[in-house]
Amino acid sequence: MRIVGRLFWILVAIVAACGLGVVGFERGEPVNSMWLVLAAAGSYAIGYRFYARFIAAKVMMLDDRRATPAERLRNGHDFEPTNRWIVFGHHFAAIAGPGPLVGPTLAAQFGYLPGTLWIIIGAVLGGAVQDFIILFCSMRRDGKSLGQMAREEIGKIGGVTALITVLLIMIILLAVIALVVVNALKDSPWGTFTIAATMPIAVFMGLYLRYWRPGKVLEVSIIGFLLVLLSIFGGQWVSHSPTFAPMFTMTGVALAIAIIIYGFLASALPVWLLLAPRDYLSTFVKLGVVILLAIGILFVRPDLQLPPLTRFVDGTGPIFAGKIFPFCFITIACGAISGFHALISSGTTPKMIAREWHAWPVGYGSMALESFVAIMALIAACALQPGVFFAVNSPAGAVGITADAAVATITGWGYPVTVNEMQILAEEVGEKSLFYRTGGAPSLALGMAHIFASTGGGRAILGFWYHFAIMFEALFILTIIDAGTRVGRFMLQDLLGHVYAPLGRTSWMPGVIMTSAAIVLAWGYFLYQGVIDPLGGINTLWPLFGIANQLLASIALCVATTILVKMHRAKYMWITVGPLVWLLIVTFTASYQKIFSDQPRIGFLAQAEQLRSVADQTQAIKTQIFNAQLDAVLCAIFVVLVTLIVLDSVRTWLGVLKGTRDARVNESPFVVTQLRVEEI
Amino acid sequence: MRAFFRVILGLLREIGDENAYQRHLLAHGLTHSPEEYRRFSDERFRGKYARAKCC
Repeated sequence: MRIVGRLFWILVAIVAACGLGVVGFERGEPVNSMWLVLAAAGSYAIGYRFYARFIAAKVMMLDDRRATPAERLRNGHDFEPTNRWIVFGHHFAAIAGPGPLVGPTLAAQFGYLPGTLWIIIGAVLGGAVQDFIILFCSMRRDGKSLGQMAREEIGKIGGVTALITVLLIMIILLAVIALVVVNALKDSPWGTFTIAATMPIAVFMGLYLRYWRPGKVLEVSIIGFLLVLLSIFGGQWVSHSPTFAPMFTMTGVALAIAIIIYGFLASALPVWLLLAPRDYLSTFVKLGVVILLAIGILFVRPDLQLPPLTRFVDGTGPIFAGKIFPFCFITIACGAISGFHALISSGTTPKMIAREWHAWPVGYGSMALESFVAIMALIAACALQPGVFFAVNSPAGAVGITADAAVATITGWGYPVTVNEMQILAEEVGEKSLFYRTGGAPSLALGMAHIFASTGGGRAILGFWYHFAIMFEALFILTIIDAGTRVGRFMLQDLLGHVYAPLGRTSWMPGVIMTSAAIVLAWGYFLYQGVIDPLGGINTLWPLFGIANQLLASIALCVATTILVKMHRAKYMWITVGPLVWLLIVTFTASYQKIFSDQPRIGFLAQAEQLRSVADQTQAIKTQIFNAQLDAVLCAIFVVLVTLIVLDSVRTWLGVLKGTRDARVNESPFVVTQLRVEEI
Repeated sequence: MRAFFRVILGLLREIGDENAYQRHLLAHGLTHSPEEYRRFSDERFRGKYARAKCC
């Protein structure tokens, strides 16, 4: 490395260290968000340039002379050598979902410090490494999926376990993100109208693409976006209309039922009519908003109002119960390490990589960028006044069922807030009330709206930006619900096809309806459970989702380690075993506490026991007891499944290391690339 | 700057499947028609929405 280069990287390291130092040690004065940005950006740059490059060169030994599946299996559809920055953007758009936005917002209840450190360290040493290595493994295996690789490299148990785990995670994921939407739209005619309007807009886009201007996706997406903006203004009008406002003012249960019915229809309707056009629109809006938020944060540079550590590090937090360890590490999954990314890294992306070294920016770089999105979400949430943050995010069961009781409780915690302050804020954003808006989306929308409004327009347009942010979050959450229900249906059909062959056929209508209904009812049940939960549902469902997602990451890291061992790279297995061991400690501890803790707000069994002691055993109480027991069983199933795959993996590693087991790697054969530079 | 915008437009067209459609026409020696686009998108969506979307 030349001297200028060395000086540059030394400067980056100093900047990152200063940022981390200020974030870690500054007390008393509010910290400016730029320190978080510098700490994160510097750390990602160092991780990318040195650690990821070391993994690429020494561990995986990427070879640009080797033809990738995109070249060898080129078919113009899935397999196509593509410009690395286009693949980078494509991959980033695929991995960036609501997780990196909602998780850090919820974890802000501990203060900004634990979340920031976990997001940065977790991504640099864990999440980005997992995405990068799985992308490499899939690329060397003609774009095979995680499940296929688990089956081939570890064994049948690994494959089946991975499939069942993914299916169960999908169910919990769909329930929890649907709950985020329900809590954001509850009693909000403006938000509900805007989101309801996106459905006919998507159908219009589908028809436009199918019959009027086939192939003009960018054109129809611009039209769709303008219509969505119009619907935000329409929503404001609706919220003031004495006729229409009551029609769009819905309770949590009514919204949950509406989303369940919607999920079923979206799963059964032709994809081109609703799902695909909405997916195009939501992906473009998502990329646009992420860029807008980055510009907004750089322009406004807000101070962080939340302290580095809150009093809730002791585990008594109102948003979710439990101490920093292990709960911070499962609450923030997607911004630090997410098992779901392994499904994307072994999906479309490996089929588009033109040169092996392109996996470096695509696999590691995209995850670093996603982690940066999580940092931005954390900044947006922590820029709110702490009293406001807790008033929005705390359920009535934790702070009291009236506004007066809620502000008294929250002020008593040392985070002053008044009813009047909350009322003015609610009026500014066009809502009746902002109390008990659990789920993370409303407080994130508030933070984003403040940042956007500060760049111009001021508080006068706070309402527009708030509902723009809600629309942005709900739009791609609903797309995930559409697509997830459909994928869940395929997976269930795949499993049931072994029992009764016609059920496995995706064209057999009774099978389609039955399996769609089964998937919708499964996640719908957990959604309903969350909606009627007096503690807001997030306290139960988000940790379950976090545990499941991190356990999927453990499976991905098991697959990655197995492949490294078989490649005779055992001396480097610490790269994947390190994050794996950490995730197993975190998730097993969290699972144990969620099942067996004697505190009813944490332990499912203790919660069931407490409910059993209530004198008046109504049907609602009996249902809650059943739900708590069901959650405990589900949590235990996750742990058992992952224990099986870990043991199976360790058996394979030991066998290969001792020489008693075949160390053959299932890579596709080496073929010299014929791809010319100008082709990519 | 021009190269940057070319990449951005390329990315948007890739996300919108417009590039994939052009490749499809080129690979099979076809010309654009509403029927061909419908055939292409049906095939494309079948694969695309059989995979989970990330959280």
